[in-house]
Amino acid sequence: MRKLITLALAILALTSTAPAFAGITVTDLKGREVTLEKPAERVLLGFYYEDFLAVAGPGAMGKVAALSTGPWRDWRPKQYEAYVAAIPSIAELPDVGETSGGTFSVEAAIAAKPDLAILAAWQFDALGDQVAVLERAGIPVVVVDYNAQTLEKHLQSTRVLGAVMGAGQRAERLAAAYEAAIADTLARVAEAGVSGRKVYVELAKNGPSEVGNSYGNGMWGGVIDMVGGTNIAKGQIENWGPLSPEYVLAQRPDVILLAGSEWVSSPQAVLVGFGADEALANERAGAYLGRAGWADLPAAQMGEVHALYHGGTRTMSDYVYVQYLAKILYPEAFGDIDPAAELAAYYEAWLPVAAEGVFMLRYQPVTQ
Amino acid sequence: MSAQAIATAGLRDGYRRGALRRTAALAAALAGLALLLLLDLATGPSGMTLAETWSALRQGPSGEDRMAATILWHLRMPQSLMGLLVGAALGLAGLQMQTILDNPLASPFTLGFSASAGFGAALAIMFGAALPLARFVPEFVIVPAAAFAMTLLATAIVYGVARLRGATPEILVLSGIAVLFFFQSLQSLLQFLASPEVLQQIVFWLFGSLLKATWTSIAVVGVILAACLPFLVRDVWKLTALRLGEGNAASLGLAVDSLRRRSFLIVALLTAGAVSFVGTIGFIGLVAPHVARAAVGEDHRFALPLSACAGAVILIGASVFGKLISPGAVIPVGIITAVAGIPMLFAVIARRGGGRRR
Repeated sequence: MRKLITLALAILALTSTAPAFAGITVTDLKGREVTLEKPAERVLLGFYYEDFLAVAGPGAMGKVAALSTGPWRDWRPKQYEAYVAAIPSIAELPDVGETSGGTFSVEAAIAAKPDLAILAAWQFDALGDQVAVLERAGIPVVVVDYNAQTLEKHLQSTRVLGAVMGAGQRAERLAAAYEAAIADTLARVAEAGVSGRKVYVELAKNGPSEVGNSYGNGMWGGVIDMVGGTNIAKGQIENWGPLSPEYVLAQRPDVILLAGSEWVSSPQAVLVGFGADEALANERAGAYLGRAGWADLPAAQMGEVHALYHGGTRTMSDYVYVQYLAKILYPEAFGDIDPAAELAAYYEAWLPVAAEGVFMLRYQPVTQ
Repeated sequence: MSAQAIATAGLRDGYRRGALRRTAALAAALAGLALLLLLDLATGPSGMTLAETWSALRQGPSGEDRMAATILWHLRMPQSLMGLLVGAALGLAGLQMQTILDNPLASPFTLGFSASAGFGAALAIMFGAALPLARFVPEFVIVPAAAFAMTLLATAIVYGVARLRGATPEILVLSGIAVLFFFQSLQSLLQFLASPEVLQQIVFWLFGSLLKATWTSIAVVGVILAACLPFLVRDVWKLTALRLGEGNAASLGLAVDSLRRRSFLIVALLTAGAVSFVGTIGFIGLVAPHVARAAVGEDHRFALPLSACAGAVILIGASVFGKLISPGAVIPVGIITAVAGIPMLFAVIARRGGGRRR
């Protein structure tokens, strides 16, 4: 009986009319197998705009048919401006809406006639069964995921981007450079012996009067874990959420990281990122030390209060923030590493814009 | 002594005994509240011992142990006092609302005050920074101010309808429901338009949290509460009479409509003050009045203070509970109030059991 079934299956397999073209087959970050006939010429790009450009290289924007513009223009306005200044055509691209606001229009996506949709994992999840509609319209969907903030997924996402854009070699070079930088950092950390110093991260968006989110796992939590710091939010917060101010005082953190960004509309935010002003960022970060009890914390006493670019995580350039935090925890082991210069070099090598602004900064008390 | 006199004396004795029993219940509730307040001050993630807490309390805000003084006087104390004031305000507002609407399911939020406050806050969270005054006024002032202003707008609408068409419970409830849904849909629209970061802020505000309590906000809520008290004291007998039913109260010469309108305004003020700073904390205004009536009956001289007391107990109890189950991450207290209030509610139901009518 079993033999019969095996035989039947074999016959079926032989006679099935599977299309057999020598296309590009990738396994994306959701474990889906996607096949393209040729590298994409008209991409619907959902997120990870910088990584797409870094992998696909010069002229890559010419291969983009539509954007989910919101996460770029609204979340990182100054970064968006910098890219529009370098590549004016970005501003002309059709916007298909964004999944997080529920405005993503599958119809607009199909109307842009892309031959490939590249989505972030969180966008794929938000779209749910609408992905099937895109596919039924003949638009293959490839999912990449830098949000997970793990080395493995960073490398795999980069290789997937390289494969579908026909930029395999460039992607390989980028992945190798990233892997080498992380490996070097981890080797130095291992040699220095795990520090275990306590680190507190807070999203510095609404000023000191409001307790911003901290990160337990993923995002900055992942960065702290990587370099052997002790994240005081770990075990208290699953993904993100505010920590009790009293808990923060009681933990006596040795390092405080204020995650800032380009929130131009938040009057008390720690403004860092593209086009940021160092003096202003320093002043806004200093305001946080006016919080009850903060001046007595080891981090404040030792001058270990830092502002970092929140848009810097979940990209291929985030290794510089890993280096930056590692350098705070092990100053001797990283004496020859200059993370700010590394970031400038990364932009120089891989992207069409220069890293002009403030991306990492140690708070300096202003002497009157 | 005539039979009449004996009967009167018996009634008087009964009344005195009842008043004593109610006074005792109120004293017990206040003592319980004081203990709970101390417990709340002594609970927190930093693991200060009771002795350390007590000495920090005695030494005042500038005690020698700076860390302990900071934690107690700048972090715990504002939250505890805010919990006390907000709980009391919601308890008072809830009882009045149930009285004037003659409805055991009414709460301070029945007539759309929470929806309007939520819309005001969402509006300020989304666009507050774009206002020209944002450079001079920090965000922690703009959001409560907007929530307060929107609540007053909702009040004005319902009050206007009540002035025109008479302040019967039906009119109040119907116009209140209209206002509630109007502001709720506006708020949904804002949430639909908000970016994820802003959306999360709005949602957190709606949960209700004591985290943002400051000495300034305590002063504001305290002043509002103090300003409403004399009016409440003045109307305390009339509110009790209103519990006899509309017809009976009117036949006693009570101006029922104007009493309802007046109480409605007080409820609006109390609720607006309470929710503007801490967000919409539900359940308290619904349950505290039931607890108060179960303990001391319909006499508003006792029921009002007890309802305030019960409200504060529920909220501070929730705050303690939250700190115990999650020392590090902050769980918005509004999520927990229901958990802390449910045992009380069941106690009330158990007392009401045995098929007795209200």
